[in-house]
Amino acid sequence: MKRFEDLNYYQILEIPVRASSFEIREAYRDALSIYNEDSLTTYSLFTDDERNKILKKIEEAFLTLIDENKRADYDSMLVSSGKVDATDLITKDRKKPIPLFPTNNSTNGAFFFKRVQKKIAGKDVNEISNEILSKELISGSELRRLRKAIGIKLEEVFEITRIALTILDSIENDHFESLPPIIYLKNFLKQYSEILQLDSKRIVEGYIKNIALRHDTL
Amino acid sequence: MSVIYPIGGGKGGSGKSFITASLGVLLAKQGKKVVLVDLDLGGSNLHSFLGLKYTKTGLNEFLNKKFKKLDHVIASTAVPDLFVISSTNCSIECTNLFYLQKLKIISAIQRLSYDYILLDLGAGASFNTLDFFLTSNEGVFVTTPEPTSIENTFHFIKAVYFRKIKQILKQHDFNTIVREAVVSSKIGVIKWPSDIIDILVEHEPEKGKLLENRLTEYRFNIILNQFRKRSNVGLGNKIEKVCNKHFYSKFQFLGNVSYDERVHDSILFKKIYINTYPYTLTATDLQNVASKISENGRESLRHSSRM
Repeated sequence: MKRFEDLNYYQILEIPVRASSFEIREAYRDALSIYNEDSLTTYSLFTDDERNKILKKIEEAFLTLIDENKRADYDSMLVSSGKVDATDLITKDRKKPIPLFPTNNSTNGAFFFKRVQKKIAGKDVNEISNEILSKELISGSELRRLRKAIGIKLEEVFEITRIALTILDSIENDHFESLPPIIYLKNFLKQYSEILQLDSKRIVEGYIKNIALRHDTL
Repeated sequence: MSVIYPIGGGKGGSGKSFITASLGVLLAKQGKKVVLVDLDLGGSNLHSFLGLKYTKTGLNEFLNKKFKKLDHVIASTAVPDLFVISSTNCSIECTNLFYLQKLKIISAIQRLSYDYILLDLGAGASFNTLDFFLTSNEGVFVTTPEPTSIENTFHFIKAVYFRKIKQILKQHDFNTIVREAVVSSKIGVIKWPSDIIDILVEHEPEKGKLLENRLTEYRFNIILNQFRKRSNVGLGNKIEKVCNKHFYSKFQFLGNVSYDERVHDSILFKKIYINTYPYTLTATDLQNVASKISENGRESLRHSSRM
């Protein structure tokens, strides 16, 4: 048999040194399908002993390459032994798996937060703010009026707070029946009013009072 | 210079003769001059796939010295540019050729001047079959997507490999070194022909390297015949992958050839399948394999002219 032991992990899995973790997984699955005991391709080519050795090697290759730290160690070993050219190993080019929800990470929230802050800085909305804060009962429509006056989109609020759009919508439209339980609602209101740079304590107080009053009248 | 393609494969009934005949017809239609040689001595029926009941002359007339040159026993077929050397009229005992007869046939084949010479080989891995297979630096395996057939194919590949190694060793006269090395290495039975290379590399690195290089020059081609709807589509490519990884020679998968009931019909009616049913899936598959072969031919010609 051509000496399998002489192949490096990348050659064993037949992937380029720049392969992404997705490619590594795919290659591993392919290799298993080729070398497993029931594989039509190889069951008659190898003895059990040979097969087990090969499978062990494949496992080893996979477990090393799929682990970023181990892979880095292994790569530098390959480079220092001259088996791989260092220029081939530019890790920047290595493809990362594409996230399922591309916006779901903290950097995005920060980006929108800055954008929203800029919008507020450019507008003079103190009058509306003060008007809202001075009220005993605060309704969602007033919060919406302020938001629109500044020019913030509801989606931007979502990007920063990650509060579901349906909930934000219910808050603004005073759809009390579809609001979350008070304990969550308080927190949501706090986050929302902080974006609008309002005194969050005052807003929560006024909004909850408004709900309670409506409840009583119903 | 003619390109010689031995067409073999371990198991009987995998369709070697059918593939040989069909490829012959297709290559001839590309305007190539092609001769098919039936070397399935004792089980010869290549002529039937070409729609012929018998041929006036054949290998027998060459072996019994009625004709001195192999050129003179070549028979024409219904397809222009396609010729055949049949072995139907060989004696019943010719299955077991004498060593010298075998050499005579091989060297005569190598002297033929055609674009393509396709050798239809018998099943099994007897010395005759192996030596005919090694007439060229390139060979074609026909296998079906069934475990039995693939088992036999691997056995055949290993046997060819082993024979090839022995050939090279004999040419370079380091047979004895290997024999000693094998005994001293305690392996006992050689399961992988290339184990010899490993042993040789260990004991005589230079000669081991030479053997390795010679084997790397050799090319195997794989055809998966009688491919059915439910067969594993990736099988051919996987076999190619595995062989390339574990043997020193080059392996190329030429393609799947679909199973078709009508192949049976065409044999019954003594018709050439590829001409009778040219627009079937199977015919298209064969066409693809043929064009791959002629592409390879061009490549190797270019290669040899460069050297």
